[in-house]
Amino acid sequence: MDAYFYIILVVGLLSTVICAVAGILKKAPNDTTILSVAAVELSLLVYLVGSIIRVASGEQIAGEPWEFWGYLLTALILPIGAVYWSILERTRWSNFVLAAVGVTALVMAARMNQIWY
Amino acid sequence: MEEAENVSAKFSQAAETAPAPTNTRNTGPGRLLIAVYAIFAISATARAGYQILTKFSEAPLAYLLSAFAAVVYVVATVSLAKPGRTAFKVSVVAVLVELVGVLVVGALSVFDAVNFPHETVWSLFGRGYGFIPLLLPILGLIWLYRRRPTPSV
Repeated sequence: MDAYFYIILVVGLLSTVICAVAGILKKAPNDTTILSVAAVELSLLVYLVGSIIRVASGEQIAGEPWEFWGYLLTALILPIGAVYWSILERTRWSNFVLAAVGVTALVMAARMNQIWY
Repeated sequence: MEEAENVSAKFSQAAETAPAPTNTRNTGPGRLLIAVYAIFAISATARAGYQILTKFSEAPLAYLLSAFAAVVYVVATVSLAKPGRTAFKVSVVAVLVELVGVLVVGALSVFDAVNFPHETVWSLFGRGYGFIPLLLPILGLIWLYRRRPTPSV
């Protein structure tokens, strides 16, 4: 597990907790919950840029490269889709949708790490 | 929750006066359900596609099951999100197939580990996915029952 994974671990779990607590408190998605999901997206973008630099500088992905990139690109789409889905109906349930992003990104980052090494 | 109940109350009033079917399944908790189904639809499709393209001959039966599971999740996601009675029926069938699938494949993967390597979404009752594949159809059926369409006059 590398630093990219641990960044997503921390940011993802934090975002999930923030969104789930907001949902439990019966709040609709607000700046805090949406920004926490944006932070997940940002850390995934850092992973993307870092990975491109690593591959460009000659590092080899141990597993299937296209599987790695498939995971990463899908993970990048998730937060955008979740935010879109949650602002279409602003109820507390949308915060639980946002809460799902962090854990999903975390699981996907763990899998990406396995593929890379 | 209050908002969701208000919305459903409005919808049920509307259903009494207007014949057009309205959708109450994609609001409130339904949105979370659809979102989780969508995540499973994406991951199951990607996983099945990868298995079939790269190592189909290793365990054809398990990988065909993966593909079947992926189709079920896609159908469930779309039909849960769509309004109308037909979509409701499709949802019920898809979620029931999912429940039977996770139970049968879960049991088979325990008793016949040769033909069913632990590599489908439903293997070991979805243990690899935190047992969410087992919980999801149960929650789905409860949700569909609570938001079943009113009988047509």
